[in-house]
Amino acid sequence: MPNAPRETVVRGRRWLALPTAVLVSVSILSGCGGSDGSAGKPDTSKLVVWMMGDGPDAQKQFMDEVEAEFRTRHPDTDVQVQYIPWLEAPQKFQAALTGGAGPDVTELGNTETQGWAGQDALADLTTRFAGWSEGEDILPELVKNARLDGRQYGVPWYAGVRAVFYRADWFSELGIKVPTSWQELVDAAKRLQAAKPGTYGIALPGNSELPFYSILWSAGAEIATRNGDTWTSGYNTPAAKKAVRFWTELVTVDKVAPPAAAAWNEVDARTQFATGKAAMAFAGSWQQGAMLKDNPDLAQKWGTFPIPGPSGQPAPVFAGGSDIAIWKDSKRQQLAWDYMQVLLSKKNDKKFADSLKFFPVHKDQLATDYSSDRIMSTFAAAMQNARMTPVTPKWIEVSRNKTLTQTMNSSVMKGQKTVDQAVAEAATEMESILNSR
Amino acid sequence: MSTTLVESNADVAGARDAPARRRRRRVDRLPYWLLAPSLAIIGVLLLWPLGQVLWMSLHDLRSARQIRGEQPWPWASLANYRLILEDPFFWRVLRNTVVFALANVGLTMVLGTLVGLLLHRLTQRMAGFVGSAIMLAWATPAVTGSIVWRWLFDDTSGLATWAFNALPDRLSGALFGRTDWTGYGWFNQPLLFFAILTLVVVWHSFPFVAVSVLAGLKSVPSDLGEVAEVDGAGPWRVFWRITFPLLRPVFGILIVLSTIWDFRVFTQYYVLAGGIQDRPTFMLSAYSYAEAFLIPPKYGVGSAIAVVLTAILLTVTGGYVWMMLRREDQR
Repeated sequence: MPNAPRETVVRGRRWLALPTAVLVSVSILSGCGGSDGSAGKPDTSKLVVWMMGDGPDAQKQFMDEVEAEFRTRHPDTDVQVQYIPWLEAPQKFQAALTGGAGPDVTELGNTETQGWAGQDALADLTTRFAGWSEGEDILPELVKNARLDGRQYGVPWYAGVRAVFYRADWFSELGIKVPTSWQELVDAAKRLQAAKPGTYGIALPGNSELPFYSILWSAGAEIATRNGDTWTSGYNTPAAKKAVRFWTELVTVDKVAPPAAAAWNEVDARTQFATGKAAMAFAGSWQQGAMLKDNPDLAQKWGTFPIPGPSGQPAPVFAGGSDIAIWKDSKRQQLAWDYMQVLLSKKNDKKFADSLKFFPVHKDQLATDYSSDRIMSTFAAAMQNARMTPVTPKWIEVSRNKTLTQTMNSSVMKGQKTVDQAVAEAATEMESILNSR
Repeated sequence: MSTTLVESNADVAGARDAPARRRRRRVDRLPYWLLAPSLAIIGVLLLWPLGQVLWMSLHDLRSARQIRGEQPWPWASLANYRLILEDPFFWRVLRNTVVFALANVGLTMVLGTLVGLLLHRLTQRMAGFVGSAIMLAWATPAVTGSIVWRWLFDDTSGLATWAFNALPDRLSGALFGRTDWTGYGWFNQPLLFFAILTLVVVWHSFPFVAVSVLAGLKSVPSDLGEVAEVDGAGPWRVFWRITFPLLRPVFGILIVLSTIWDFRVFTQYYVLAGGIQDRPTFMLSAYSYAEAFLIPPKYGVGSAIAVVLTAILLTVTGGYVWMMLRREDQR
């Protein structure tokens, strides 16, 4: 029956007309706006921009300034900025993709750009990006990370790395020096925990993957490596086991973090530190604002040091951050690109990074001297040794859907699996996902 | 007499019969017209999406653009079903779902019935007080209630953590092998997680059972039970010999409803588990959601899981209703 598939398609479409209509009207009611179907010249009266996170005041102010600058050239366009919590973003993107009403410009976590490009959600920016002179100095690894099959789908906006925040007041009170190796980290945590009853040595984000990658890389292991078309997971190796053992034993053997830490994400861990319940925490530079909001007194009490490796060398760090992309369904792609050029100009990039305690993505701007900033200097040094997660559109499934690394670590912390079992299972599943068709 | 005459006349009788039949037919149709609006609404809101889920489960759907109808729907036949049925993880999820649902239906029914019997015995004012108190639990939105329960079991400042810390150290040590509960992960072990989830779900659903049982009891003559008691039957015997048989239809509908609700618990699960990522505690609803909506989406596989869940529910409830009807016939 050669015609069968075709008929299926048509019927499938007709069946879908109603839910699509419902979705569209729902998204219009909830104010998503986006592409309207009007033929001919696109409607340029507004531009919808999605930003991730809860929109701190500093960011809102910055976005207002960007809009003012953009409107000097497009006075008739109203820029509508909507803030979307990080964890809700995948659902929001998916609803937009299914319903057809999405943003014009959107921010994306840089580990997700490839995944969404693979879902056919983002516009191809290859030509536009190549013709944009201000983009030339952007760190090449970050640019490459926003690429799929040789096409550019996002432009890096800012970068951020993690380090260890510590209570400098407690360290100096007890005469503890800043740890530079795994053993020193554990020793310091034990001494602090003993001297300060009711606090944990380390607020360990047991259910987060990104801080753990520093430990993994510093032990000499890889997440996964590509050989031709085949990915091999680096988890079932002696080096990775050493990393998992160290990370999980902080809970199970050294007991410098509580059992509940197996389920903590980075926000939970940060809150424990900010509220004085932990002496150290793995956190990113951008989390300063939120921690100071919880506890303004911290500014006089805290310090930072690089995440230590097993023996004296600082660990490599994951280069977190965001990309900016144009939604493929946007009817105002040229307008969106004009806006992106304003948002991502070197001047604005630096301004944004400085005000939110991130790093700009341009090489020349990263050369700026951060040594006068007690907190940021540690992160600036770590930026020199930043790395990425595997570059493949399948990575998003490992990272956000199956949460393999998080599950591997937390199952050991919860006592459900041994290190050997956990790494073997994670490695097998990772390879089956990364190598699926 | 004239009437007898007229009626015995075949022609006249036939002439009278025709409009009567017509009228009867009109009357017969009336219920269907009255049902039509609800049927139409159920059709649009329930049957049509159900049919669509079934249809989607037979296709290979991995992109939102297929859902929008911009890309073809490759026919997958039963491949999605084969995929899940061959996956040992699916059987683990199914086991979680069935055991959880059975335990919850049982506990909800027992607790709800006991509270219903209690309400029946209380004075009117007291029954009103207890009744409104338990109805508050029923009226609490699932999300709100579950968040409060999650806070109660917070690892640092939850009431449960505080209460267990307040136990005498020796008792706590002897019973649980630990004295310091601060930082204890209440949701770490699947069994403990399911126990807390059961607590939350039963707390949410027993008031409805209690009030329905009370309504049933109010509609049954109470002297039967009193007579039986006078004759020396204990409360246990009175319940099983008199109350239960009389309330059988009420219990039937309550069990069917509870089964449906407890098989597809999602909200409470989502809040307590902190999202859809704790795979060891997955149940069919969460599993279906994870496959269909987490990135990369597998709408076909997710639909197939949803169809399996629906089929189980239809079998269980259908079987139960059939049993009830058969018993009704025998009486």
